[in-house]
Amino acid sequence: MRWNISYRETWLHRTNPSLKLLVMLALFVAVLFVHNPNVLMNFSLGFLLLFFLYTGYPLKYLLLFFVPFFVIFVSTASSMTMFGEGTTTWFQWGLVHVTKESFLRGMHLGFRALSFALLGLLFSLTTRPVYLFYSLMQQLKLKPKYAYSFLAGIRLLPIMLEEFQTVRNALKVRGADAERGLNTKLKRYAIPLLSQSIRRAQRIAVAMEAKRFSNQTNRTFYYQIGFSKYDVIFLLIIIGITALACYTGIVLPYIPVTDVR
Amino acid sequence: MELVAFVDQLRLKFPGKEGLLFKDLSVSFSRGEKVLLLGPSGCGKSTLLQVLCGLIPHSVDIPMKAKHIQVPDNWGYVFQDPDSQFCMPFADEEIAFALENIRVPREQMDDRICELLQMVGLSIQPHTNIHELSGGMKQRLALASVLALEPDVLFLDEPTAMIDEEGTAEIWKTVKQIAHDKTVIVVEHKIEHVLDFVDRIILFNESGDMIADGDAASIFQTYKSVIASQGIWYPGVWEDYRKKRRNEQPASASDHEIIYLKEMKGYRKKEAKIHIDQASVCEGEWIAVTGKNGAGKSTLLHALMKLIPTEGTYELYGKQLQKTKQIARHMAFVFQNPEFQFVTHSVWEEMAYSLRLEKRTEEEISRKVEQLLAAFHLEKQRDQHPYQLSMGQKRRLSVAASIIGGQKVFLLDEPTFGQDAKNTFALLELLESYREQGATIMMVTHDEQIVQHFATRRWTIAEGKLVHDEPIIRKTTADEELGKEDASHEMEYKLS
Repeated sequence: MRWNISYRETWLHRTNPSLKLLVMLALFVAVLFVHNPNVLMNFSLGFLLLFFLYTGYPLKYLLLFFVPFFVIFVSTASSMTMFGEGTTTWFQWGLVHVTKESFLRGMHLGFRALSFALLGLLFSLTTRPVYLFYSLMQQLKLKPKYAYSFLAGIRLLPIMLEEFQTVRNALKVRGADAERGLNTKLKRYAIPLLSQSIRRAQRIAVAMEAKRFSNQTNRTFYYQIGFSKYDVIFLLIIIGITALACYTGIVLPYIPVTDVR
Repeated sequence: MELVAFVDQLRLKFPGKEGLLFKDLSVSFSRGEKVLLLGPSGCGKSTLLQVLCGLIPHSVDIPMKAKHIQVPDNWGYVFQDPDSQFCMPFADEEIAFALENIRVPREQMDDRICELLQMVGLSIQPHTNIHELSGGMKQRLALASVLALEPDVLFLDEPTAMIDEEGTAEIWKTVKQIAHDKTVIVVEHKIEHVLDFVDRIILFNESGDMIADGDAASIFQTYKSVIASQGIWYPGVWEDYRKKRRNEQPASASDHEIIYLKEMKGYRKKEAKIHIDQASVCEGEWIAVTGKNGAGKSTLLHALMKLIPTEGTYELYGKQLQKTKQIARHMAFVFQNPEFQFVTHSVWEEMAYSLRLEKRTEEEISRKVEQLLAAFHLEKQRDQHPYQLSMGQKRRLSVAASIIGGQKVFLLDEPTFGQDAKNTFALLELLESYREQGATIMMVTHDEQIVQHFATRRWTIAEGKLVHDEPIIRKTTADEELGKEDASHEMEYKLS
């Protein structure tokens, strides 16, 4: 059981992962402080374009990845719209009270959630964990100890998934799947899976040390990850999208509200 | 001779266990020696290997003391479990990890990786996902990444314990090719593969005392009975077993059909992975399901248990059953890894579990459990947690707990995998005794000897299809008298 989706490499894949991570984190924080819904809408739109055009995955999968986040967008936006407070009433039915203010705030929150989702998706879809950790070690001086433990952990995930399937079958055969109660169910799965993982993690750690892995910092690297013209392109495009979103949001607003607070 | 590793008066204690594992053990190894450490499981062979290379106490925190100890400068260690010795997802990255650790310059890495893969006979693209490799290939990759460290001394800690017959042969072939100029210290239970390779054997008893140390051939001759009693797979073990088991009855099966398959297909991810044109199983048969890795043997068992979707006709006792739950009343399923099957905290409760689910009376449960505890030699362990049992006990418990509901058909997925000779024979005899009482057995196995000695019929699976369905003609006692020739021929079969 593995995720084996082939994709086309784009400039987003070739950007330095540490740079990408820092820029994405900065944007994350920046989005928190945007209160103009026009700007946020433009921003989301810009990243939506990046997501569909430059992550290099087939459209089918992109849509599939996007579905859960779209659900989040709808649920965040609608709950704020229907239950938020406001003065200009548009519609009222029992507990549901839609006002102009609550609608705008709902939309704003929805787009904020969407921006977060897009930033996260863009990063995770275009970054191989191995490159990320090599880059973190080389550019941000992350200690190899942490980098390789994370990588070893990632390797365990598909193994755990397979084991989960086995445990499920085993429980089914023994009739244990008929038992009620979340607590019992959780225990049935957690104990065998965790005990296997803990033992496996300990063994991997010993195996790594047996291969002379130590805390020394002057190691050589199989993947030399540096900076290239793609990083310039990346920065230019991100700055471009952000600037354009701000400019059009302020100069050519869709709605005449500039602050939803 | 120059010594590469030695330890003088080693004392070592496992936390939580009473008494010392080693008490003033002294042993030394010279350059170029090929040494086999033999002993029953739990006697501390692996621990000794880890002490000799310095993993204990450096990486594994176990209290130890030695008067003198010398650890080799350059060593490599191959572990038992192929799934827990890699930290990177791809083969090239894993080898590169070792190269990085000894600071090989980046420019040389690609060439070194190709060279190492070639050395261990792995003809794969360097950038191959480790998850796609078979167990035997994984162990050879482990060997390659260890060789990247350019070791003088190789420690091999049961590298084939979790590998099938074919993989085992490949691993030892590789070791023999690459290790001629190195010192090799091996722990291995399937010794028929290494007897022609090692030149010295050190024999331990249960409590970790050294009982013999010397030239391989003479130790093997002198201590053969000791080795046999420890459950080690030595050459000729089946021959000896057959002599001991005199009362072998000719296999008998009735013609009462209990499973009938026609145009049966089993699906995984909407793809038909197993296809049976027509086949049937009669009561009292012991069917060995054989075939290559990935041919679809386990898938067949999963289909019979309805753990995967199926299509076509599949009748059990003349009925088409739809749910795993209904089938589980007639059929017991034993998985390859017993631990995943355990659901309770003690051996006794584990056995009682299925009966409790069926709401049988306490009295009946107690009677049945006691009966099976005795039959499966688990009486002393009744209060232990299933995870604390030894390999053999875990296996027996998983079988006992599966069949306690009174099922008449047993499906077993490589139940003797990773078991020593003693436990294998014990389990097979238990199964045979159930078969004589009318149980039907279908068992996936790679072991040709088991097929020849226990099965009544063989199903060969290839590429998801049942390609051969043939009865096994059991050798009668008269054949046995005919002699050695026959047995040695069988031996070759197993080695090849």
